Amino acid sequence: MTKLALAINQKRCIGCQACAEACKMENNVGMGMLWTRTLTEGSDVMDAAVGEFPNLRMDYLPLGCQHCENPACQKVCPTGATYKDEMGRVEIDYDKCIGCRMCMAACPYNVRVFNWTEPVHDPETGYGDATVPVRHKGVMEKCTLCKQRTDNGQKPMCVVCCPTHARVFGDLDDPNSEISRLKRERTVRILLEEMGTEPQVFYFV
Amino acid sequence: MQTKGFSKVAMGVFGALTLVGIACWIFQLIGGLGVTGMSNTTSWGLYICMFMLFVGLSAGGLIVASSAHVFGIEKFKPIAKPAVIMSTVCICVAGMLILVDLGGIQRIWRLVTGPNFMSPLLWDVCIITIYLVINILDLVWMQKGENDKVRKLSYVALPVAILVHSVTAWIFGLQIARAWYTAIMAPIFVASALDSGLALLLLGLLLIDKVGIAELGDELLASLAKLLATFIAVDAFFIGCELLTMAYPGAGEAAALSHMLSGATAPFFWFEIIGGLLVPFVILAIANNRTKRGMVVLASALVVLGVACKRIWLLFTSFITPNVAGAPGIAGGSAAAREGGDIWAIIGTYAPTLPEILIVVGVISLGVLAFMVLCNKLVAGEEVEQQVSLPSEEVAQAA
Repeated sequence: MTKLALAINQKRCIGCQACAEACKMENNVGMGMLWTRTLTEGSDVMDAAVGEFPNLRMDYLPLGCQHCENPACQKVCPTGATYKDEMGRVEIDYDKCIGCRMCMAACPYNVRVFNWTEPVHDPETGYGDATVPVRHKGVMEKCTLCKQRTDNGQKPMCVVCCPTHARVFGDLDDPNSEISRLKRERTVRILLEEMGTEPQVFYFV
Repeated sequence: MQTKGFSKVAMGVFGALTLVGIACWIFQLIGGLGVTGMSNTTSWGLYICMFMLFVGLSAGGLIVASSAHVFGIEKFKPIAKPAVIMSTVCICVAGMLILVDLGGIQRIWRLVTGPNFMSPLLWDVCIITIYLVINILDLVWMQKGENDKVRKLSYVALPVAILVHSVTAWIFGLQIARAWYTAIMAPIFVASALDSGLALLLLGLLLIDKVGIAELGDELLASLAKLLATFIAVDAFFIGCELLTMAYPGAGEAAALSHMLSGATAPFFWFEIIGGLLVPFVILAIANNRTKRGMVVLASALVVLGVACKRIWLLFTSFITPNVAGAPGIAGGSAAAREGGDIWAIIGTYAPTLPEILIVVGVISLGVLAFMVLCNKLVAGEEVEQQVSLPSEEVAQAA
C-alpha cells in the first residue's frame, strides 16, 4: 500500500507564500480561493510577531488539506464525491459533487474551498497543468496533493517550489522513506490531534 | 356554496410572492450560490437555518394527530386533518429549502446512484422522504375516512416523526469540528420541534377558526396551550443542560459560548431565552390565559420566533471562530473575488442578500398557499358536507 504524505518543517518556513502561489498556478485555482495558504500563527496580521517585547515569536503554519486517515469530510459526503484513494489521498470526484457543502461544515481545518460562482481566472484563459480537471460553479475543491503529478511519481508543486526546502513529500507506508524517518525521529506536531482525524500531513521542528 | 375559507386575494398575494421567489431562484441558478451571503467561512446560511426551523415546525401537526390515536386522546381527533395538512406543508417547505441550497442540483440523481450511507445528510434525505409519504398517506386515508388505516399508520408516524428531528440534529451534532458536537443535539431538536410545531399548529388552528373553516373550542384550545407550556419547559431544560456543559470547564467551547452570550449571535440567543422560552412559558403557565385567544396567539408566535432565533445562533455560532486561526485567515471564495476588495477573513461573518431572502420568502409563501388551498378543499369542504348532506350517503361518496 501507499500512503502519500507531506511533512512541513516549521523551523524552515519563512512565510513567503511561494507554496500557495505554486499550487494556485499548477492547479488552475480561481481567484479568491487557495488550496494551501500560510498562516501567521496566533496573529490577526500577517508577518506579525506575537507576544510582548522582548519575548516575541513569529511562527508560520502552512495550511492545506491534511489528507486525514479518518477524514470527516469523506464520511459525511452524501454522494461519495469525496473519497480516500488507493494512494492514501483524499480526493474529490467533481462529477459527483452536488454542492451541499456538508464536507465544509465537517472539516475541522477550513481547507476546502467552494465555487460559489463560476470561477474567476486572471488571465481568463486559466493557467497550470493541462491535465487538471476544470471545476465549474457549485462544486467543492481542495488540495489534491497534485494528483496529476504524484500519480506519475513527481512531487507536488508546493514541495518543488518551496525555496527553503521546508516541505518533504513521501510515502508513510515505506519505512525507509525520508518522511517515515522524520515522523519517527523528530518532534512531530499534528494539527487538532484531539479531533481524531489522523492527518497524514504533519509538522516538525 | 358558502364563502368560507381563505380568500382569493390572500392566495393571490402568496402566489405572487412565490413567483418572485422562483424568479430569484433562477437568478441564483445562473449566477451560482455567490448571489447569497455565504462564503468559505460561513458555508451554510439562511436556507439551512430555515430548513432546520421547518423540519421542526412540521412536527407539531403529525405528533398531535398521531397522539390522538396512539394515546387515545379523543379530543385531538377533530383537529387531526388540519394538523396533518400543516405537517405535510412544512416538511415540503423544508425539502425545498435544501434543494435551493444545493450548488449542483443538476447532479442530484447521484444521491440515488451512489449513496454514501455513512452520511447523516443521506439519512436525512431517506427519513424525510418516508416522513412525507406517511403524511400524504395519512391525509389521503383521513379524507377517505379509512379510520382503521389512519390508526395503524399513527403507530409508525410517531416514531418516524421523532427520528426526522433526530436525524436532522445529527447532521450537526455528529460534527466534531464544530461546537454543534454534543449528544444533546437530538433531544434539543425534538424538544424545539415539539414546542415550535405545536405553537404553529395553534396559530394555524386559530386562523382557520377565524376564517370559518373549522371551529376550535375553548376546552381544546386550553389543553393544547397547556401541552405547549410543558414542551417549552422541556426545551428550556435541555438548552440549560447544554449551556452548563459548555460553560463549566471554561475551555474548549468557551469561545463559542462567548459569541452566544455577548458576541455576534447574542441578540438571537437572548431573544430565544427570554422571548422564546421565559415569556411564553409564564403566559401559558397562568391557567386563565389559555382560553384567551390573544394570549395564546402571542405566546405561540413568540415560541415560533424564539425557535427561529435558536436555529440562527445554533448554526452560525460554529462558523465564527476557525479552529486553526491566524492571519490572513480564510479566503472568501470566488464570489468574494468577483466583488473585489479584500477576500480574506479572520473570523466568519454572514448576512443574507436580497435574492436569498426573497427565495426563502417564496418557498414559505408556496407553503402558505398550499396550506390555504388544502384547508379550503379538504377541511372546509368536509364541514359543509357534514352540515348539509348528512342524510344522503351517495352524495358523500360521490364527493
